Amino acid sequence: MKKFLKTVSVVAMASLLAFGSACGPTDDSSTDKDGNTIVKIMFHVDEKSAEGQAYKKRIDAFNTAYKDQKIKASASYVARTAGAADYEQKLTGMQNEGSLPDIITFDAPNCASYANSDLIYDISDIVPQDVQNDFLSLNKYNGKLYGLPIQESSAGFYYNKNLFRDAQIDVSGYTVDNPWTFDQFKEVCQKLKDKSITAVDMRLDATKDETATYLLYPFIYAAGGEFLSADGYTATGYFDSAETKNGFQFLKDLVTSGYTSYAIGATDFFDGKVGMYLSSGWTIPDLDNKYPEKFPNRDSWGLLPYPKGVESASATGSWSFAITNNHHEDKTKIKELLLWLVTPESSKGITDATGMIPARKSVETNYGAGSPESVLLSQLAKTGRERPVTVGYPQFSNNFRQVIYEMKDADVATVLGQKAAVLQSELNKLKK
Amino acid sequence: MLGSTLAILGVLIAIFAGFAVKDVLLAKRKGTRYTFRNCLVSYGMMLPAVALAFIFVLLPIIYSLGYAFTDFYLLKPNNIKFNGFENFENIIESIRMKGDMYNAIRNTSVFVVGVVPLQIGMALGLALFVNRSKKAVGIFKVCYFAPVVISLTITSYLWLQILSPSEFGLLNSVLKLFGAEPKDFLRDPDTAMLWIVVISAWQGCGYQMLIFLSGLTNIRKELYEAAALDGATAWKQFLHITCPGLRSTFLFIVITVFVGACRVMIQPMLMTGYQSHTVTLSYYMYVQGYSYRWVGYSSAVALLMTIVIGSITLLQRRLLREKD
Repeated sequence: MKKFLKTVSVVAMASLLAFGSACGPTDDSSTDKDGNTIVKIMFHVDEKSAEGQAYKKRIDAFNTAYKDQKIKASASYVARTAGAADYEQKLTGMQNEGSLPDIITFDAPNCASYANSDLIYDISDIVPQDVQNDFLSLNKYNGKLYGLPIQESSAGFYYNKNLFRDAQIDVSGYTVDNPWTFDQFKEVCQKLKDKSITAVDMRLDATKDETATYLLYPFIYAAGGEFLSADGYTATGYFDSAETKNGFQFLKDLVTSGYTSYAIGATDFFDGKVGMYLSSGWTIPDLDNKYPEKFPNRDSWGLLPYPKGVESASATGSWSFAITNNHHEDKTKIKELLLWLVTPESSKGITDATGMIPARKSVETNYGAGSPESVLLSQLAKTGRERPVTVGYPQFSNNFRQVIYEMKDADVATVLGQKAAVLQSELNKLKK
Repeated sequence: MLGSTLAILGVLIAIFAGFAVKDVLLAKRKGTRYTFRNCLVSYGMMLPAVALAFIFVLLPIIYSLGYAFTDFYLLKPNNIKFNGFENFENIIESIRMKGDMYNAIRNTSVFVVGVVPLQIGMALGLALFVNRSKKAVGIFKVCYFAPVVISLTITSYLWLQILSPSEFGLLNSVLKLFGAEPKDFLRDPDTAMLWIVVISAWQGCGYQMLIFLSGLTNIRKELYEAAALDGATAWKQFLHITCPGLRSTFLFIVITVFVGACRVMIQPMLMTGYQSHTVTLSYYMYVQGYSYRWVGYSSAVALLMTIVIGSITLLQRRLLREKD
């Protein structure tokens, strides 16, 4: 009995100690046994992916280059399996535990909320001005710099040149400098429809994640609309304005005119059943490599910019690097890794792997004149407009997608009015 | 966090110590041999289960209860302030302006009212059928139980393919044979929730079927034989023998299906995403807590859900037991 009691007591003590240590403060050490300062970084991709491998190469190169300075980067990779939300849950979990790495990657629209919550660090004085000036865009909030883009993105209309030839449609004159208008866009759609071809996949069904917001918000800006006030806290009067309504109405009219629908199959464009496909730069490698039957070479497909309404606007935004506000108060060595990861060499290495646009202007791109990549780059520089900068970005995006989803069977103005009120009440909570 | 956790642990240990002392004193009064050492052994044996329940059940409940009265924002974990009943006022405001909370209550109610009778009816029907079948009972059981063991994610995607509005959608392909126009069942506000009800009932009824089956085997066969000799029809046998015999099983199933239905989230999340006509209370709570980062508000919704579900469950128990 005595032995048993002893065992029970030991197990009980061990359980309590284990529980206590699990709840205790996390390891604060940032120096390894060789005296290297460890700078921790977390990436949002799988280490084995092409993008993950590109990051790994740059981290390895950093560790070699900074060996003498005794700085060592330690990377972790948290692959997103169900969109950006699960990565953010990991991030917020680490913040709650007090175990945030020194540098993180984050989705650019979250900049305002992360900055407002002090999750990320003000790097305005850390990043030299000439480096800042070399970026196509920067992640700013309240005039301060918080993030440096890893790469840039833009989207446009991929089109099937064979279907366009059959329908005798000539779009060669539509460029970023001479964009097609909303009306010309509809004319092209009508010609395709006349040939019994589904004119365009506007990705109206991509409302379960950020895709629909990312691809469709430029139409609202192009129609002269706005989503929120400049401070990001007022939706009524913006989200439900007449101009904003015009933008959404244009999208709905494409459905009612039979040019697009909510039920286009995911591969219909790639199977040659749809004339145009709205997507980002990540579709370029797919068209180059995955569909040789319908798209054997670049003579079989092209890329058109966003159409112009009362003004031009196109999609932008990708993931960025930021220094976190963790327990390491001295950011000098962390800064070294941050700046290393955004050098033109790093930028080129990463974008070569992803097919995206380099974030820095000084990176040589060698895009051929008129190539899809050059269309995206030119569009980004000339008409790119970022999504609303607001602490309530998730609330905005969710309501935007609900409008896209619900306007199919309802009056656009009514849906916008309802969603503007709901969004406003959410923003009011954040303002307190 | 550590301080409050230790405080809760302290209270728990004090309660257990109180019980231990009471046990020993009671034993002494009754003159039985039950020493403090015996007491330690018995409580020691309970320790693993109690520790797990403490960490994974009790602590989250207590914290969630506390967070419901705070402004806890996920990105500001070190700046949690008590805000009284503000979260509950916001819930009322969302209902008043027919916002997402209103939609979530409406959709969850539709789901519960639809799925509880449908799933239980299907389960009882299948159980009666399988119970009467002489041949291939095992095959029937496996077929009906199979959807239960398949993950909700897979069945949701399977049904997405069946209900797809594209030309590859199975149901629309069949309807097309009869000249019907393709329908977007899950986007239509009038049909989306109903389909989620049907799919959920189909998915879950196999489990309840097995429970009903075990209940049916407990009813003595002699009762049916005697009733048959007295000329009772199959319907009368069902009404006067099967139904009373299954009362306790029925009570258990009604409560578990009801509670499960109130918590529905995965099906709408995977099949339609966050939309006004399919968002449910659990889904709303999840989005508020994780996407919008309002842990305090989300905890207030959870607290209200617990109170409402608990009250209705108690009412169900009382109503069904009263007839016993």
